[in-house]
Amino acid sequence: MARTKLQISRRNFLKSSLLSAAALSISSCSAQPLATVLNQNGLRLPWFRTGEIKTTYNYCDMCPWRCGIVVKSVDGQIYKVDGNPADPKSRGMLCARGQAGPSFVYDPDRLRAPMIRTGARGEGKFKEVTWAEALDYTAEKLKITGQAFGPEAVAVFGHTSGDFWFTDYFAQAWGTPNAAKPSSSLCTSPREEAAKLTYGLPIGGHEPVDWDAINCIVLIGSHIGEDARNTVMQDFANAWARGAKVIVVDPRFSNVAAKADYWLPIKPGTDTALLLAWLNVLINEERYDKAYVADWTTGLEALAAHVAPFTPEWAAEITDLPAESIRATARLMADNLPQAAIIPGRHVTWYGNDTQRMRAIYMINALLGAYGREGGIYFSKSPYIEAYPHPPFAVTGSSGGCSAEPGQESAELPLGPTGKARADGARTNFLRGATAMQELIPPMISGEPYPIKALIVYGVNLLNSIPNPQRTIEALKKLDFVLAVDVLPQEHVAWADVVFPEATALERYDELWVVAHKTPYIAMREPAIEPLYDTKPAWWMVRELGLRLGMEPYFRWETAEEYLDARLLSIGSSLDKMRQTNGVIVQQGKPYFEDFAGESPFPTASGKIELYSDELASAGFEPMPTYEPVAEPPAGYFRLLYGRHPVHTFAKTQNTPLLNELYPENELWLNEDEAGRQGITNGQYVWLENQDGARSGPIKVKATQRIRSDAVYMVHGFGQNAPELSRANGQGASDTKLQTTYALDPISGGAGMRVNFVRIVKEV
Amino acid sequence: MTTYAFLLDLGRCIGCQACVAACKTGNELSPGVQYIHISEQTRGVFPALQSSIKNHRCYHCADAACVAVCPTGALYKEDGLTRLDASQCSGCAYCVDACPFNVPQLVNGRSNKCDGCAEVVKAGGQPWCVKTCPSNALMYGERETIMAEAHRRAEALRVRYPHAQVYGETQLGGLGVVMVLPDQPEQLDLPANPQIPAVLNTWQNVVQPASVGLLGFSLAFTGLAAIIARRNHKQEVAHLHVQNSAEETAAVQPDHANET
Ligand code: SF4
Ligand code: SF4
Ligand code: SF4
Ligand code: SF4
Repeated sequence: MARTKLQISRRNFLKSSLLSAAALSISSCSAQPLATVLNQNGLRLPWFRTGEIKTTYNYCDMCPWRCGIVVKSVDGQIYKVDGNPADPKSRGMLCARGQAGPSFVYDPDRLRAPMIRTGARGEGKFKEVTWAEALDYTAEKLKITGQAFGPEAVAVFGHTSGDFWFTDYFAQAWGTPNAAKPSSSLCTSPREEAAKLTYGLPIGGHEPVDWDAINCIVLIGSHIGEDARNTVMQDFANAWARGAKVIVVDPRFSNVAAKADYWLPIKPGTDTALLLAWLNVLINEERYDKAYVADWTTGLEALAAHVAPFTPEWAAEITDLPAESIRATARLMADNLPQAAIIPGRHVTWYGNDTQRMRAIYMINALLGAYGREGGIYFSKSPYIEAYPHPPFAVTGSSGGCSAEPGQESAELPLGPTGKARADGARTNFLRGATAMQELIPPMISGEPYPIKALIVYGVNLLNSIPNPQRTIEALKKLDFVLAVDVLPQEHVAWADVVFPEATALERYDELWVVAHKTPYIAMREPAIEPLYDTKPAWWMVRELGLRLGMEPYFRWETAEEYLDARLLSIGSSLDKMRQTNGVIVQQGKPYFEDFAGESPFPTASGKIELYSDELASAGFEPMPTYEPVAEPPAGYFRLLYGRHPVHTFAKTQNTPLLNELYPENELWLNEDEAGRQGITNGQYVWLENQDGARSGPIKVKATQRIRSDAVYMVHGFGQNAPELSRANGQGASDTKLQTTYALDPISGGAGMRVNFVRIVKEV
Repeated sequence: MTTYAFLLDLGRCIGCQACVAACKTGNELSPGVQYIHISEQTRGVFPALQSSIKNHRCYHCADAACVAVCPTGALYKEDGLTRLDASQCSGCAYCVDACPFNVPQLVNGRSNKCDGCAEVVKAGGQPWCVKTCPSNALMYGERETIMAEAHRRAEALRVRYPHAQVYGETQLGGLGVVMVLPDQPEQLDLPANPQIPAVLNTWQNVVQPASVGLLGFSLAFTGLAAIIARRNHKQEVAHLHVQNSAEETAAVQPDHANET
């Protein structure tokens, strides 16, 4: 491997002065073509002048936002990705992670060949095998499990943009209802369930904020810019520059808080108290959209009575915010209605009471008259396209995920072929929503309500995303069979029996990206280069497995192109035609009330926004949100908060060479004064120990004024214990490993993770 | 001749580093090398805080100290921007010491810095960083257009930040990166009146004319270079240190990452 050699040459300056004297004479005849000069001097041509540039269409896989991209390659080497100007998400721009797409492809640590375990589980010892061997072995194991325990005994976890093939298509064709995505119960379930309960529509993958005309933006915990979703950064910057007011509620002075008109450094865990006080001000001072509320909501009287005691003074005590700021911010929202809204955040599984908190947010938006109004929250519409005409699936899917489609949850849970519904405790331990990934771990250990014996894990960083990873390891030890499908040798891959190495998004065709949006649209993915090494796309893997498992009727198509063209035919298009429209098909949306011709856009029982929820009341829950105090950090402990860094996604990109270079390890944000009291200096490495004695670190302290003194903060996804990841292994601390506990949201099944506390250990 | 410039709007910039990554991939920069550095600047005490993003890069000074000291013409002005033809660089590192913003670095024994994506813009494209910036904090175009946009933005920004202003209209003869600042330059770690180091005036007047004739050039070069080299000995050690650690990083990079 050639390596970059950096050297300073001043020591030889006499010699170099002579050389440069010679060089000077070259530069004087400035008409020399660059290539010649470069070659003469041993420098390189820029990549885009080394050969013919091949352009392919794709959607970015570096985070789940999936911006449309154009991929530029020369002679079978990918050099650059840029935003696709025709794509409604990227609009020609990309975030740092998107720019690192090629770096992800060329990560030398990638899994290169199928493998079968030779050592003990967790030891990470494997032998490389052929695809035929790996597939035969896997099919055999799944068959045995299915025959002995029913197809429901196979759980499928999937994440990243190829998850459709395993978590949806394969799981449903095979017949397991136990398919889950972390984007549901570890992320968005509460906001989705709250939205469906309150106004009948999900949020979906693309938060339907009408950024173009919004005048007052309220962010609760959303750290736009650090959470680097490209479109949101674009929209925010434009709205902000237009003069839209910004209110940021965050215990930490985030980069976006630095741009806010009001920063409310709230005491963590008390957000619902703030929201109730805002409702109190809006109603008491009659600062709400009266006509809208009369026409489109039910339960205002009940809500008014409910929030009457929750004055700003009441909330001030709880939230550690001045009552005047609470009042002023409520008035600022009201002054701008209906071009004002609290942005539905993304990761909202915080304290276990999260669906109720999200409902409070939507109630405020309803009082502001934001839904269906220009500059408020528009109505998303899914693009029209048919599914591939496959035979009916063996079970209806409920994996959800951040691309959830609008629709009501049916009262009965779907049953698998041997009559078993989801094993995650839906309807008993929690009310509703997509399959809760973390709740599928206990059945793997206890066999209750029925045993889960095999696990397929596609692209989920199992031990760095599901809280209580200690428990997950226990489950991994108990399972009969574990298949890991991944691009990288992530930590959990060491626990697999079989490893399928996957081709990256830039090396494969994939399912269409069908986006509910203001302008509904469809984007395509095609390979820029042949898959590196002996890697394969997920569609190929599930098809090969399916053919070995007697599932031929679902796999009549032979190639991904055939599958995709069959779907596209339903809208009179094809891959070729899509290429002519820059890889994107954009359809007409119905974003505003006017588009519904007097019909209600709200598919609730009442056809209105339900401030008071009969559905919750009849299920034994509070029909309107209440403030429930959450446990406080014990003396000497801080609440552990976590979030994003703009160059990293989850626990996925820490090893990507370019991104690793830009942010190789996470830091512990610790209040500077508090650090002083503890005798800790900026830049010092410390360890963290949580309330249960779990440890992680070492992590570098960032002593800063930008955080409250009762909490510490770190970027999620670091501290991975994965020796095969040469860059990410052991860098920084893992928030997940310090989350030995979580609070289950009894409504949505979300896993609230901000209920863990850490103390700082200076030496171990 | 048309003069081009960049707009860098520090009101809009949110520190996402998309520009950094786009520059690195588009220009195939070696591991450890960046043309843009993003960092946070925070002032005040909790909860009365202010913070902004420092966006450090070559500002393409009209009166460019780096160009003034460059004995080989590797650094030169073109279209209002400061270009670098690394093939001409002798590795003397005078530009490293002369730049008032501490921009150029030696990589592989040659000067290395933003050249305004010369090849890309000449082919009709936008600089990589500009093309990707999600916050629309970066623009590239004719200097007049950029200047007008900068004033428009600074004016709009004053509603929020009374001290918002344009920076780079006059500094160092006018910067090729015109900045919109949310606050006074001193608050943002920028010199209100950046100066070319005084010693460089001698340099420019004596050495540059002399360099036309090769003999005179070499003589003057040897003498003055030795003086500057001694003056900056400490700084040189620091540079070496940075580069050595970059070299270690480089050793674990993939085959495709650039090498020369
Ligand atoms: S937000 Fe960034 S990482 Fe995510 S899809 Fe868009 S460009 Fe890719
Ligand atoms: S891409 Fe734009 S917003 Fe992001 S750091 Fe660079 S200049 Fe700032
Ligand atoms: S900022 Fe430094 S490197 Fe850039 S033009 Fe000015 S003097 Fe030269
Ligand atoms: S103009 Fe080009 S070389 Fe300069 S910082 Fe931007 S991308 Fe990098």
